[in-house]
Amino acid sequence: MEPILRLSQVSRSFGAIHALKRVDFEVVPGEVMGLVGENGAGKSTLVKIISGFDDGYSGEFVFAGRPVRFSAAAKAERAGIAIAQQELSLVPAMTIAENIFLAGHNVSIFASRQGLAAKAEPFLEEVGLGSLNPNTRVERLSVGEQHLVEVARLVGHDPRVLILDEPTAALGEADSERILEMVRRLAQRGKSIIYVSHRLDEIFKLCDRITVMRDGVSQAPRRASDLNVDTLVELMLGRKLENMFPERRGSRSRDILLAADDLWPDGLVEPIRLEVYRGEILGLAGQLGSGAGDILAAIAGAARTRSGALRLGGKRFLPHQPRDAIARKIGYCSPDRKRDGLFLGRPIMENLTSPALETVSSYGWNFGRGEARRARELASDFTLDASRIGQEAGVLSGGNQQKVALGKWLAISPEIILVNEPTRGVDVGARAEIYLKLRTLSESGASIILASTDLQEITYLPDRVITFYRGMRVNEWEGDEVAIERILKDITDPFHETHL
Amino acid sequence: MSALAQILGRGGASRSPMTVALIGVVAAIVLFGALTTPNFLTLFNAKTIIRDAALVGIMGIGLTFVTLSGNFFLLSMKEIAALSIITFAMGMSHSYGFVLSLLATTLVAVAAGAVQGLLIGLGANPIVVTLGAAGLFYGVASWWSDNLVVAFRRPNDAEWLGTGSTFGLPNITIAFILIAIIAEFVLRYSNFGREVFLIGANRAAGKATGHENLPMAIKVCTIAAVCAGFVAVAFAAQISSAQANYFSSEFGSSGDMTMSVIATVMVGGNAITGGFGSTLRTSFGAIFIAVVDNMMVLRGYTSGPRILSVGLIIVVSIAVFALARRGRRSVE
Repeated sequence: MEPILRLSQVSRSFGAIHALKRVDFEVVPGEVMGLVGENGAGKSTLVKIISGFDDGYSGEFVFAGRPVRFSAAAKAERAGIAIAQQELSLVPAMTIAENIFLAGHNVSIFASRQGLAAKAEPFLEEVGLGSLNPNTRVERLSVGEQHLVEVARLVGHDPRVLILDEPTAALGEADSERILEMVRRLAQRGKSIIYVSHRLDEIFKLCDRITVMRDGVSQAPRRASDLNVDTLVELMLGRKLENMFPERRGSRSRDILLAADDLWPDGLVEPIRLEVYRGEILGLAGQLGSGAGDILAAIAGAARTRSGALRLGGKRFLPHQPRDAIARKIGYCSPDRKRDGLFLGRPIMENLTSPALETVSSYGWNFGRGEARRARELASDFTLDASRIGQEAGVLSGGNQQKVALGKWLAISPEIILVNEPTRGVDVGARAEIYLKLRTLSESGASIILASTDLQEITYLPDRVITFYRGMRVNEWEGDEVAIERILKDITDPFHETHL
Repeated sequence: MSALAQILGRGGASRSPMTVALIGVVAAIVLFGALTTPNFLTLFNAKTIIRDAALVGIMGIGLTFVTLSGNFFLLSMKEIAALSIITFAMGMSHSYGFVLSLLATTLVAVAAGAVQGLLIGLGANPIVVTLGAAGLFYGVASWWSDNLVVAFRRPNDAEWLGTGSTFGLPNITIAFILIAIIAEFVLRYSNFGREVFLIGANRAAGKATGHENLPMAIKVCTIAAVCAGFVAVAFAAQISSAQANYFSSEFGSSGDMTMSVIATVMVGGNAITGGFGSTLRTSFGAIFIAVVDNMMVLRGYTSGPRILSVGLIIVVSIAVFALARRGRRSVE
């Protein structure tokens, strides 16, 4: 069959970074095409080009038999390419029907609520929400239903190609199943679906063909039935693993620094059991929504716990606020440094000393001398240019910002450092430096707990890995047992074999 | 120019042409006014200007702590002052003397500030809280005084603050200068001052690094309220009387004390969202407004055009500072 959409030899560079290198991609009508690859492999760049968010590329883009180049998402949508993104674009306080007709449909500006509701119904049927009252306000729906409403809104434009970017990343089992059903139904009606997901079980359940991206290069699409999880992972990772991860140490201490017997963080379905040894790097592996990150937030006092407590150095301990954890020399780097990891408008120096003002002041007064010295130490410890500590943190690159966000915790002489997604949006060079620093810290006696959705770092950096799937602890692997295939299976599809 | 550049943008390398033009226009107008207004460029007038700026400036300095810490504004500044001035005048008219009356006023102001700070720190909207508090405080002040003038006899032991002077400088002016210096010193060099900036720059990151907004909101609102209380005392000491509506009309250049105070913070170029600015900026803002107002008084303008021009100053200065900051951001 003739493809409805075809990109050939598409390249895209951002400065010196080549995000896409001569990529080929196609979808035929009525097909579900899986698009998989690691973080940073180029999936999102490709999706942005197809959906009109990015037109700074070179190469050929043919849609419905015509060469095209979309300079805006609205233009792509008008041509028949719709995208449902991870962040929803619904107005919570408006009804389902109002949301569906929000973006300039041919509806009279004086449309009555009942009229809108009647018009909305067929679209809701199409995504399997026929049982919902279109006059319900969106904020009262489950997250999964909201995703479906978003798709109903897009389906209202009668697109020929629909892109779903990680539609189930934040959803539970039941809601995910509804999304999958909807995708099948739309495909049967002749729509082409581009399905982007990290959940390999879904990819195999749903997709006819799969395109794998790696390091900005596309592989020729393969039939899903010709692949299994192992061969797909091999394609995703390639064979070469760069020398990015510092070596693990041979022998480790069994001295328990922090333990949880019955800690129940919000976001997990049951209390967890956890032991953290002095001087180790412990990895908590899991996808978004697995609860791995929630455990870190709970230990840091940054999120609520339902019940239970921790034992720290043998004593009962439960932080209610981050400052409680900081007082016990626990530092926490959240996955979103712009939100709560950095003071972007303040100098780098103030960022670095922010958790430990009392160490650079005397009797509450700080005249800058000691602080500057300390900040320079911390900066050079993290290979940051110490002469720049007077500049605002906001001017730094993503990698250097992350070094500041992480480096500030050295100021408290930490015993435990909790890091969630430490290398999100961080370039390769800074990544290696961050890994090396975490390893060095662990060797000097601090314990590191790392939560990450990045398969490589969660496999190759930690001494020990505990895996999580949808709020449940799955397995624990240690030393030589830690292997990428095991972790991948644990975090994507732990409870049944995927046979296809 | 470099001092001005430093206040504006802390770096100086990145000034957009638009910013330079706006600063130039403002500077030209002021310079022209200064040279052509009779009696403007005299030592006596300079002292007058600073004295006029003092009361609004002291309240502005207090309010700056609230703004820099990211807790917006207290819209109840003039009502805190109203409650304070009635408290003070009641004390004086019942012959409790200056010290006891001042103490009672301070306690009232601390309570007024701390309650608002508590509610804001717990997450209530600052606008709602402080508007509600404004009604409450004014209502109490007005009820307590039957909405009448509370006068107290001269001579009394508060006059030295209101009308006295030392080495030729009015004591109010000296208080303004001292408070400005102390506030700036605390903001720059104390851990408390650092926390003000950190929490104001990013409240979530502040919390994550151990700096909670709840105690901060209580502290900064209390500082602002105490400044308002002090200004009320100084004002009552000037005229040996008090009335609840003294700060609502015909006070400051725009007629309304709260708005005049907010104007000093804004004209000084403090970031309205917090995290960037200084009390020194607010002091300069108060003086700048007083300069323009004074010039217009000397040229015989009535209060309408004066209020209008203060409004224009606010708009222009906010635009200038916004542009300056944008220019600074886009360097690297």
